[in-house]
Amino acid sequence: MKESVASTAVFILLLFLNTSLLNGQSPPGKPEIFKCRSPEKETFTCWWKPGEDGGLPTNYTLMYHKEGETITHECPDYITSGPNSCYFNKKHTSIWTMYIITINATNQMGSSSSDPRYVDVTYIVEPDPPVNLTLELKQPEDKKPYLWMKWYPPTLVDVRSGWLTLQYEIRLKPEKATEWETHFAGQQTQFKILSLYPGHKYLVQVRCKPDHGFWSEWSPESSIQIPNDVTMKDTIVWIFVAVLSAVICLIMVAAVALKGHSMVTCILPPVPGPKIKGFDAHLLEKGKSEELLSALGCQDFPPTSDCEDLLVEFLEVDDSEDQQLMPAHSKHPDQDMKPTPLDPDSDSGRGSCDSPSFLSKKCEEARANPSTCNIPEGIEKPENPQTKVTCTWDAQSTRLEGKIPYFPADGSKSSTWPLPQPPSQHSPRSSYHNIADVCKLAVGTAGASAALLGKTDAHALRSSKTTETGGEEKAAERREVESFHSKTDQGTAWLLPLEKTPLISVKPLDYVEIHKVNKDGALSLLPKHKENSNQPEKPSPPEASKEYAKVSRVMDNNILVLVQDPRAQNLAALEEPAKEAPPSLQENPAEEDLASFTSAPSSCGLQLGGLDYLDPTCFMHSFQ
Amino acid sequence: MDNKGWSLKGSLLPLLLLVSELLLGQSVASLPICPTGAVSCQVSLRDLFDRAVILSHYIHNLSSEMFNEFDKRYAQGRGFITKAINSCHTSSLSTPEDKEQAQQIHHEDLLNLILRVLRSWNDPLYHLVTEVRGMQEAPDSILSRAIEIEEQNRRLLEGMEKIVGQVHPGVKENEVYSVWSGLPSLQMADEDTRLFAFYNLLHCLRRDSHKIDNYLKLLKCRIVYDSNC
Repeated sequence: MKESVASTAVFILLLFLNTSLLNGQSPPGKPEIFKCRSPEKETFTCWWKPGEDGGLPTNYTLMYHKEGETITHECPDYITSGPNSCYFNKKHTSIWTMYIITINATNQMGSSSSDPRYVDVTYIVEPDPPVNLTLELKQPEDKKPYLWMKWYPPTLVDVRSGWLTLQYEIRLKPEKATEWETHFAGQQTQFKILSLYPGHKYLVQVRCKPDHGFWSEWSPESSIQIPNDVTMKDTIVWIFVAVLSAVICLIMVAAVALKGHSMVTCILPPVPGPKIKGFDAHLLEKGKSEELLSALGCQDFPPTSDCEDLLVEFLEVDDSEDQQLMPAHSKHPDQDMKPTPLDPDSDSGRGSCDSPSFLSKKCEEARANPSTCNIPEGIEKPENPQTKVTCTWDAQSTRLEGKIPYFPADGSKSSTWPLPQPPSQHSPRSSYHNIADVCKLAVGTAGASAALLGKTDAHALRSSKTTETGGEEKAAERREVESFHSKTDQGTAWLLPLEKTPLISVKPLDYVEIHKVNKDGALSLLPKHKENSNQPEKPSPPEASKEYAKVSRVMDNNILVLVQDPRAQNLAALEEPAKEAPPSLQENPAEEDLASFTSAPSSCGLQLGGLDYLDPTCFMHSFQ
Repeated sequence: MDNKGWSLKGSLLPLLLLVSELLLGQSVASLPICPTGAVSCQVSLRDLFDRAVILSHYIHNLSSEMFNEFDKRYAQGRGFITKAINSCHTSSLSTPEDKEQAQQIHHEDLLNLILRVLRSWNDPLYHLVTEVRGMQEAPDSILSRAIEIEEQNRRLLEGMEKIVGQVHPGVKENEVYSVWSGLPSLQMADEDTRLFAFYNLLHCLRRDSHKIDNYLKLLKCRIVYDSNC
């Protein structure tokens, strides 16, 4: 029985629900309290937002209970603050107390409750705007007018007892402006504005904030018109001034028109142009700087020889037939070769390329790619004032053939590079401008062999570098020399690659042995494939005599004429084992020839500031 | 941190004084402030109240900021607010709950009440500083404010005692205050419990500092300006 009743009830309920669903009716949605506010910290109001009403008239109730109490109350006043609100008057408001407020929505179908909202009146104070904002333009005598404004606190707020302390803020702007100018006024209820634009209409607003609450809304705008401060009297004065200036301008224009140019000249005398004595601007226009500057009395422009100071000294080249001169150095190494006669008496700067390291560096660069070598600086050979030379590796300037640069066997020595030119040579004589050219020349000679020779030259040149890579270059040299050897006949002259710095070298340089000495005393050199056991590498100062070999000249494109440099022994040498090369020479059968050569340099050599320079004429004689 | 607090303090108080003078917009015809070490020195009641109000206003601002920061950082989604009901240790002190009650109470009683509340906070503030320091990744802002509040609270207490000495001298009431027993909660290992303890403490501090500030302003307007602020 009971079961049937229960099931019937369920059935009816389901039917009822289905019916309501079919009608679109449902219990109300969940309401939400969205704002609670107190205008003076004595009362407060809460507003809620209803949820869906479910299609039925819904009843909303606000229930609350206070902190520390258990009783739940209902909202005392639903009316005063408008729809969906609850107003708590003074009697129902407690400060420093938490209110837990809930909204219940009920309709025929059901009810729903909002989430509880925790409200402490202390922290929801937001007053009304200040009232009775008055504006007044005060114009004290002899002073600028200013705007004076006054207002009153909102009526509900009790400031006199100190229950609330208000702070104010005003803002104003000219009517047409977009940005407000805001000023904080503190607790005062009046304010002065001093900077005003005359002739504008200003709008002013004020708002307030309790000491620990929120800013109120801005009060309604008050406006005031600022009168123009330009008086009639001023206007007349300005008009008079304007007319007067207009008249004066007209007079001036008329005078100018009538008198014309002479007037202008009188008023604005022509500006004299700049004049330099002896300066002819036309020359400048034509671009003849030399003439121009000579007219000025200037000489040597652009400077030619001054650079020598920087660049140390030149290698001079005399391409007269019997003179083997080193190419003069110049900064413009390529085609512009000027032969300079050998000047035995002056330091012609030979040896600029003397520094083997320097030279070798250059030639190395040249070998790598035809490019301009930089002047290596700081090549230190205390005993030799090294000169530096720009080395340009200009392939085109290769003229001399068979010219093999003179390279010192001893790295410490820098020597001039008398470039031997065999008399039989009819190759175009051209002066070299730098070692690179010399190198080039060597390279250019006789094709491959010459090229190889040149390369070995490079190595040789490099030999006396004080600081150079060691083993690799040596190995490279070895290979080169070997290849050279393989390619060439015995007619080829061998260069004597010089020792590289032993400081970091691992392998010794290639040595060449004197292959033969021809009747002329020219040494043909063979590379040494084995390390010369007799000459262990010694990074010691060069030994006496015979260690130093110089190339006096190159004959027949491929014969290297070597001479000994007796001065080598005198030099405080580098630690390079370049001496090994000379010792190799010593062993050779050409020693006697060398010995004969030994004397030659002493007589022929001109020691110039530590630079070794050999007068090729001496050699020529000795050989012939 | 302390240095910052000290320097803040050192520079803030004169500045606040100046600001308050300007804000009031009234010429303060008062005796000069007592130099330190002066034996007999009378600071006017107006000055004392001005200074006290400045301090109480400042303390409440700090408390409010501290609470908001803590709430934002640690208390989101934990529903602490539902639990922080009737949980302040000073609720036993019967303080007026609205304007009418506050205006009805006699100013001496009100002063004593203020003193009681201030004294009740000496201990909790001290421990708050210690515990916040030990808090993991305690943000500088909370710690510095806690230190500042503790310091200012002590000064306010001194000032209030001076005011009481001037308003009704001779009567020295027993030092009554509420005992705070929330220290174990602050030191709980359980993070949730500990955080709620902090939340509750800061919540109560915010409320009580507002009360003190409000009472003092009422008193000032009543005593110094004769209810005509």
